[in-house]
Amino acid sequence: MHCVLSDSRTIGGHDAGSQHQFTGIAKYFNSYTITGRRNCVLATYAGIAVIFLYFKLKPKKKKADAAK
Amino acid sequence: MMVSFFDQFASPVYMGVPLIAIAIALPWVLYPTPSSRWINNRLTTMQGWSINKFTNQLMLPLNTGGHKWALLLTSLMIFLITINMLGLLPYTFTPTTQLSLNMGFAVPLWLSTVIIGVRNQPTIALGHFLPEGTPIPLIPVLIIIETISLFIRPLALGVRLTANLTAGHLLIQLIATAVFVLMPMMPAVAILAATVLFMLTLLEIAVAMIQAYVFVLLLSLYLQENV
Repeated sequence: MHCVLSDSRTIGGHDAGSQHQFTGIAKYFNSYTITGRRNCVLATYAGIAVIFLYFKLKPKKKKADAAK
Repeated sequence: MMVSFFDQFASPVYMGVPLIAIAIALPWVLYPTPSSRWINNRLTTMQGWSINKFTNQLMLPLNTGGHKWALLLTSLMIFLITINMLGLLPYTFTPTTQLSLNMGFAVPLWLSTVIIGVRNQPTIALGHFLPEGTPIPLIPVLIIIETISLFIRPLALGVRLTANLTAGHLLIQLIATAVFVLMPMMPAVAILAATVLFMLTLLEIAVAMIQAYVFVLLLSLYLQENV
């Protein structure tokens, strides 16, 4: 992950986001560019969905096995 | 029949006819309709001037796409401010103390701003869930918090208006009752309470106008994010 910053110009205190040159995974997942932020949001929602589905579809132990 | 302080908020029904419909239609009746004349009378001119001034101020931060909402937001503002102010008159019913009415405004309007954002600029709409420059460890937590805050918005809009109006009317009735009860027993205290009641009434006039403006302003801010 390597971030190269060119001359940073701020607009109203916020970085325009177009001055960052990310490499590696940071190119797609960062909190500076609009697409990076979108991808982080989608990844978080996907992660929550995966965790939810994992617990929903996890087979429950039968009580008969516990009685044995 | 037990009379309680909350009877003033009961939706009035007379011979099976819900009077809230008349209360909601009242602002429309009170305002003069601008005619097609080039120069109107003083009242209509003043009305047009103040509506234009307000609309210009509201539309300043919005781009051209948001200007389509000018009519809706301005009429909503006039409607809310008139209903709130009329509710301060004695023996009137204030429709905006009803959560159902306020949620009926807040939820569809908020949802339409969200749908506009998701439909026209989905990347920017999704990007709003993560503030710029967030440190990496905080990203998932902040996204969840921003998502929750998005869905809290219509609830906050509706409940804010309801709670402010209801609390104000309740306070006025409580302090007015205290003045009437104390007058024969402790006139000095009753006069003090009457002074408090007068100041509270002034406050409620301000709150009536401010809450209507805040409702419309927040909607315009939500629109600004998405249009």
